[in-house]
Amino acid sequence: MTMTDSPPAADTALAATSPRVVGLFDALTTTDHKRIGRLWLRAGLLGLLAATLVGVVLTIENSNSSPDDVFGGVNNYFQYLSLHRFGLVLLVAAPLFVGLATVVVPMQVGATNIAFPRAAHGAVWLFMIGAVITVVSVLSGGGWGALDGVNGTERDAIALTLVGTGLVIVSLLAASVCVATTVVSLRTSGMNLMRVPLFAWSMLVATGVWLLTLPVALSNLVLVYFDLRGGPGTFGDAQGSDAIYSQIAWLVEQPQIYAFAIPVLGVLGTIAPVVAKRRHAQHVIAVALIGLFGLLSVGGWSQPWFQGSNYDEKFVFIVFGLFAAVPVLGSIGAAADTIVGRASAGDPDSDASAGGESGLAGLSSVHGLGAIGAALLLLAGTVAGLARVIQPWDLGDRTTVTSVMNLVLFSAVAAAIAGIWFWAPKIAGHELAVSTGRLVMLDIVAGAVLLGGADFVSGFLEAPAFGYRVVGSSASLMAEPSNQSLIEVLNVVGAIGAVLIALGVLGVFAAMAKAMRSSEVVDDNPYGGQTLEWTTSSPPPPGNFSEPPGRVVSEAPLLDTVNENGEEA
Amino acid sequence: MFTTGFKFFFGIGMALATGAVFYGYTTGGNHMGPLSMGWKGGIGEHLGYSLLLGLGVAAMTVALFLVFFRDADPAAQAHYMGVEQIPTNDLVTASFWPVVGAFGVGAMAIGLVLHTAVFVTGLIICGVVAIEWLMDAWADRATGDPEANRALRNRVMAPIEIPALGAAIAALGVLATSRILLATSKLGSVVVAGVVSVLILGIAVLFARKTQINKNILAGSVLLLAVAVLVGGVVATVTGERDFHPHEVHEDEYEGTGSEGGH
Repeated sequence: MTMTDSPPAADTALAATSPRVVGLFDALTTTDHKRIGRLWLRAGLLGLLAATLVGVVLTIENSNSSPDDVFGGVNNYFQYLSLHRFGLVLLVAAPLFVGLATVVVPMQVGATNIAFPRAAHGAVWLFMIGAVITVVSVLSGGGWGALDGVNGTERDAIALTLVGTGLVIVSLLAASVCVATTVVSLRTSGMNLMRVPLFAWSMLVATGVWLLTLPVALSNLVLVYFDLRGGPGTFGDAQGSDAIYSQIAWLVEQPQIYAFAIPVLGVLGTIAPVVAKRRHAQHVIAVALIGLFGLLSVGGWSQPWFQGSNYDEKFVFIVFGLFAAVPVLGSIGAAADTIVGRASAGDPDSDASAGGESGLAGLSSVHGLGAIGAALLLLAGTVAGLARVIQPWDLGDRTTVTSVMNLVLFSAVAAAIAGIWFWAPKIAGHELAVSTGRLVMLDIVAGAVLLGGADFVSGFLEAPAFGYRVVGSSASLMAEPSNQSLIEVLNVVGAIGAVLIALGVLGVFAAMAKAMRSSEVVDDNPYGGQTLEWTTSSPPPPGNFSEPPGRVVSEAPLLDTVNENGEEA
Repeated sequence: MFTTGFKFFFGIGMALATGAVFYGYTTGGNHMGPLSMGWKGGIGEHLGYSLLLGLGVAAMTVALFLVFFRDADPAAQAHYMGVEQIPTNDLVTASFWPVVGAFGVGAMAIGLVLHTAVFVTGLIICGVVAIEWLMDAWADRATGDPEANRALRNRVMAPIEIPALGAAIAALGVLATSRILLATSKLGSVVVAGVVSVLILGIAVLFARKTQINKNILAGSVLLLAVAVLVGGVVATVTGERDFHPHEVHEDEYEGTGSEGGH
């Protein structure tokens, strides 16, 4: 047996020596980050489709007066509501961003592949297995607790839901390690942390926060599981209780909910300079603001298990809520400065200033619309969160909580879809339809505004957080509010918003189906991108780059002029 | 000397730690409490103090790691490794062990709730995957030639893998098929046995005649067959065995044995 100690040559391309097999076999064995990322994206989009359809039914049910219309009782309603909430976070927002990052981040930092590609591949399949177990167990009578107490037959199904949720979290943690390690240790020559593209930076911050906080959720689940299977029954056997749900409800509430929208600022920061056709005007500030937003989105500590039921009255919780809007507002300001502020300054790197454009023209692009719309939704969500922590208003048990969740999560969805449109040439090798894309973005943003806005106003009218008025049911969550008729009108508005979002999501699938049939050749850099992923072909080859990227000297390498010695000319 | 990453995270860490001390004193901390983490005096409000200090210490730890690894800057890494360019990771070969591992973890999780046997099966699968994964990772770095690496790996592992895989497939097939045979009616069990036999024969003939089989068809067939057998086995286990009617025992059958019991 003969072995060598020398490392493999950097330019040895695996694809050149082994025939490429596509299809099911490739999906089961691949270590190519683009293929793995596409699996994440497909899983996330399927989850999005299911979640939005369940959301439509929930809002329609919510505008009725009887709990038996669709779900056959308040307990079933509770199960689907909790599935919708946890699903939007764990089965939609997180996998969509992980998918985008798995495809794009390695190319953005000039790497040939993601770090730990086998672990990344295992993670996506573990995610799918966990997601299937979670959904099937909820449909089989499981879920995160039962309002009418846990009976014998429900116990196993609920345990399976907890186990499935745990698997999903473990898979997200594994994927987070891969993405974060890629940004930290696989950057190309010259790319220090301040030169990392903003989307990659935002994913580093987001995955860092997930790695800090999701294990807390996992611990909650383990605790509840053992309690359910053989412990004192503190959470499961309480009659008419949502005790299990309450243990991990912090995942869908502020500040943790913001952690799943950190990449929104990264998408905005990456797309704004492309739209403006000039460098980001405040790159360093944007880096700091994304870091600050990550810091203010660390959750896990704000839960009843640690703090008691009045955890949201603590000073730190209030401070987090008050300041979360600041980095979002700052990021939007920095993007606006990039797009409109520097046109007259004669920026030497600016295509737009040379042509006399302000950069606003690029906002009509799908990615421009999506990035700005998503950022504004996130701003609305953090402002709603600010209102929620103002104690005299007492909005903690009201639909304001739902409003924050919907606005923040659909900002994440809008940003992810904007990212899919923007990076489609690199993800799948084709562009997605512009006209459909604009409709999709308008649908989703408008729908989220209606859905979140209606809940926000309902909160001031004392509508309960679970949004349900129990008539003639044995289980009751909250007393019926006094402004019932007005709340019902707002519920209809929310239902219209949910329908709009669902139409937008269907539009995404339509655009993808259309693009798959297209044989049109796509430019390597159709939008004037400034980061390294746009230096390679569309779709990128195995190994991403035909030759290693040169030394990077700024955050926008494609705008740099570099001489042979790697020095800026 | 100090890298950008170090400065960034150390700055955050110091700001948070200072904030924790300030917060401690303004919320009831006394003497040296907030400075000594509660050793000499009270720290004030526990949650805010712990959170701020915890995040501060975490940020400073990250800062130390970053300065130690020079922000993971590729040029600095290459300098310390004494090479011109750090090795890339594009030689990681395709492998189905991650998928098998994911199914193993899934089986463990389901087994935790439903049945110990399923849990143990998942555990065994995870153990096997761990070994295979290690071998793949070793082989990927053995030489600079992917073909040579693959041949090397197969030379070490194939003599173990092929018999073990054959035995496992045979055992699983026999176990699952036996459950199905026990759960179905007499006629049904004959039909199932016939179909399984024909399938085995057909697949064997297919393999014998075709030297090159499309990998997608192969993967799909194996996946389909495995799912069918497993689902059938699980459903049959849940359904339970059919009622058996044992032969009546006649005393004359046991003449000369001198025993009243059965065999």
